[in-house]
Parts: sequence; structure tokens; C-alpha cells
Amino acid sequence: MKESKDRYLPNEIRDAYLFILPMLLFAVVFILLPVLGTLVTSLFREVTFLPSRFSGLDNYLRLTTDRHFWQSVRFTLLFVGVSVAAELFLGVILALILNESIPGRGFVRVAVLVPWAIPIAVSARMWELIFNFDYGVVNFLVQQLGLAGAPLNWLGSATGAFCAIVISDVWKTTPFMTIILLAGLAAIPQDLYKQAMVDGTTFLQRFFYITLPLLRPVLVVALLFRTIDAVRIFDLIYVLTGGGPGGGTTSLSLYAFKYYTSGDFGYGSAISLIVFLIAGLLAVFYVRFTGFREAVK
Amino acid sequence: MREEQVKKILKLTGVAFLLLFCLLPFMWVVVVSLVKEPDFLLPQVAFDVTFDNYSDVLTSGSLHLFEYLRNSLVVSAVAALAATLFASLAAYAITRLKFPGRLLIPLVLLAFSMFPQISIVGYLFKMMIGLGWINTHAGLIFPYITLGLPLALWIMLSYFSEISTELDRAALVDGATRIQVLHKIILPLAAPGALSATLLVFIYSFNEFLFAMMLTTDYRARTIPVGIALFEGLHGQIPWGHLMAVAVISVVPVILLAAVFQRKIIRGLLQGAIKG
Repeated sequence: MKESKDRYLPNEIRDAYLFILPMLLFAVVFILLPVLGTLVTSLFREVTFLPSRFSGLDNYLRLTTDRHFWQSVRFTLLFVGVSVAAELFLGVILALILNESIPGRGFVRVAVLVPWAIPIAVSARMWELIFNFDYGVVNFLVQQLGLAGAPLNWLGSATGAFCAIVISDVWKTTPFMTIILLAGLAAIPQDLYKQAMVDGTTFLQRFFYITLPLLRPVLVVALLFRTIDAVRIFDLIYVLTGGGPGGGTTSLSLYAFKYYTSGDFGYGSAISLIVFLIAGLLAVFYVRFTGFREAVK
Repeated sequence: MREEQVKKILKLTGVAFLLLFCLLPFMWVVVVSLVKEPDFLLPQVAFDVTFDNYSDVLTSGSLHLFEYLRNSLVVSAVAALAATLFASLAAYAITRLKFPGRLLIPLVLLAFSMFPQISIVGYLFKMMIGLGWINTHAGLIFPYITLGLPLALWIMLSYFSEISTELDRAALVDGATRIQVLHKIILPLAAPGALSATLLVFIYSFNEFLFAMMLTTDYRARTIPVGIALFEGLHGQIPWGHLMAVAVISVVPVILLAAVFQRKIIRGLLQGAIKG
């Protein structure tokens, strides 16, 4: 899409806006308006059954001393870091393997879509069963293989719950990562590799000097989407651990949700807006510092 | 050559790992759904294969399984079709007409798609109370159309921009209206794109959780993901056999779509994520 600077025709402009109007109406009413509404609500003390009144930045000041809020911030950022890194690492390896001609490509493709297509709520219940303390298959294997003498308390301990959440998320999203990276790999000219092979390079040299630089634009886009998605994580945690044990796995979205459902809309809105800000800052960071712009051109 | 052999082994190990990684966890769900006692791994419990879990959940009216499925299918199908329609209209204007903001609009929609749902859902809940749309299909359809629009727009843009403008210019000269051009010339040529967009928005809507959780209250509008998340079973203590049978039944629509339309879906995902 190139922008040519020639003059606009009035009736063309009118037609264009008519065509765009339905989409824009939806976007304004069901995305922009609610976000602005959340911003305004966050400036009010708005609790069910109490008269609503303007409270300025009170909700935000309350955040600064709210221990559970900071616990959520720490958990959310840690989750984003660990899960996105794991997904990227695994995604790159799987994409490199699948990029070779492999047997049963069509079947592999369907298999890759299975975790992606299953609703998170369903996969969360699935992992809940798999990590079950008494008869989950993970504890069964861990004991059979002699990795642990007693069953591990996956969902009932802070570390166990964190690991369970990361594993579930990696399972669900790595296939998506792999598909995107695979498309990026396919776009790299094979001649480059042939020439490099002739020059007697090792596999690692080819990876770091050809694959990685040429994959970078796709890598950045995939990272951006995954990071923004991970920051707002809700479904998986709500169903798998409910934020426990002891609030140790409460993501920011879940923390805000708990205030919404308990009727404190002002405070819930302030927390939601923090999620919005974190996502926004990360998006700006990617666009500014990682060459996202060249990637989207 | 040694390197070739190592490569071959790596490749096969990788493919095997990927297949097991993707399929094994869900296979486990299928196994448990077909077994009488979910704790059969314990040494003293027998492994009895049975279809009782399926017949139980399919015949029980109090689980509302069919209502949840119906709600999910209706809401997702309507949202997918509407999002694709509105995205096509917008994509026509953006690829065919000159107007201020032409390049900005797709980027704004892209930015909107990154807004965390939690920053939307609180106020949306209040709006829906105002509209009287809590626990209705409309209360989910309208937000789902909106959530699907950015992806649908980017997919339609990439298809529309590949279609030569010669044809529609000629049709306009012959006196066709723009709507006719879109309907009779461009959309038929971009039908695969419209299919991709519809499929993806359908799957995303089918899987959506937070809005459905917040905006529905019971089986009249509740969708299947929320139904499964809140599944307590028929008699207290989580009945894993029943729950896993429900899980298997509920993913049949999306898995079927993924299997039949894998190429379309992957192409759509890539257009939504990379190209533009």
C-alpha cells in the first residue's frame, strides 16, 4: 500500500467513509468507548450499593500500597518472561526441524493446530487433570521414572502452580509460534545455505549468520503478539489455579476481574488500566527498538 | 555422510516429539473420558472401558450441554459472518478508494486488537446492563464481531490488494455501483480469503472466555468454554470422566474445522500476523 499524494475526490471520500463506517462504529462502540469508560471509572470510587463519587487518583494511590497488586505485577511479568522465552526457544527449534522436508507434513500440520484450536478453558481443565495430585499422569510418570519419591504438589504449591501454568501455556501457544516462524524460514532463499555449505561453515554458523538475521522481522512480530497476549493472561489461570495458592498465581487481569465481580468497579478499572499501560509500553518498546516497522512494511 | 545421518535422526526425533507434544495431552482427555474410574493409575483401581460418561452427559438435561453448544455455535457463526462482511466493506475502501486516513485505519485496528480484554470488559458489562443485553446472544455477538474485525480486516486487505483494479475500474465505467463491484467481482475472487477470515473469527469467538464469563449468567446465553470452566458435575466432587467427555464433545467442531481447513487457517493466521 503506497500513499500517493494526488488530490482526493469528494464523492470518493464520501463513499470510502460509508464503506468503513460499520467497522469503525463497532470498533468505537465496543472497544474505544469501553476503554475510555474504564479510564473514567478508575477515577471514581464506584462500589456496588454505595453512591458513586469522584475520587481523583485515589484508586491509583491505593495500588501503590497494595501488597497483592505488586505480587500480581511480579507474577505477571515473570510469567510473560518465562513463558514467552520458552515458547520462542521451542518454536525456533521446531520450525527449523519442520522446515526440512519431513514425512507426513499434512498430518503434522493438523496436529500442530490441535492445541491452538482447543479453547483455553478446555485445555486448562485438561491440565488440571494431568497435574492432579493423587492420580494425575504427571505424578504417575514422575514416580515411575524415579524422579521423585512422593507425588509432587503441582497445583497446591507456588512453584508447582507456576510451572503448571507455564507448561500449559507453552503447550497451547508454541504451535502458533512454530507456524509463524516456519513461514519466515520458508522465505529465506536456499541458495544462501548452499553457498555457505560450499564455504565449509558449520550448522551453528549458518544459524547465527544467515537464519537468525533473516528471520528477525518475523521473530519480532511473533514476539510482539505473544508478549501482548501473555501480559493479559486470564482464562488459563482462572480455570487452572483460580489464582492460588495464596494468590501466588493471580495475574493482573485476574486480580482486576476479582474486583469487578466483588462489585468494586473503580479499583478494578484502575488495575485494568495498569494492564493496558504495561501492554502499551511493551508494544511501544517493540515498535521502537526492535525494527518492528521494517517488519510490517 | 555423518552429518546427513545425524540430521535425519534429529529430524525424525523432532517430528515425533512435536506430534507427541501436540496430541498426547488431548489423547489423555479422550482416554479418561472412556474409562469408568479416572484414578485408574492407582494400583488398586481397575481400567474399565465404558461409554457411560458420554451417555450420561448427553442425556442429562441439568448439565445444559446442548444449550451451551448451541449458544457457542450461534454466537460464533453470526459474529464470524458479520465481521467478515464489515471487514470486506472496509478493505474495499482501503484498497480501492483514496481518502484521508486510508493507511491509518488498519494500524488503528491493529492497535485496538492488542488492547487487553480486561480493560474493555468492566465498562462493557455496565453498557450491556444499560442495553438490557446481559445474558443474551446479542450481548456476546456484538463484542465478538468487534474482536474479530482487526484480524478479518488484515486478511481481506491482503487478498483484495492482490486483485487487479483493472476489472473493477472497467465495471465502474460501465455504470456498476461500488457495492455491485465488491459483490460481483472482488468478493468472488477473494472467496478463499473470506473463508479464512470467517473460519478464524469463528474459532476465536468459539474459544473466547472472559467476555462470556462476565456477560452471561446461565444456560440461555452461556457458551461452552464457560460451561466447562464452571462444570461441577452432577453430584459434587469433580467427576473427571463426565468432564472429559464434555471436553471431547465440545472441541469436535473446532478440531473438525482445523482438520478440514488446515491450509486456509494457516494461511489466514500468517496473513493476520505477518503480511499486511
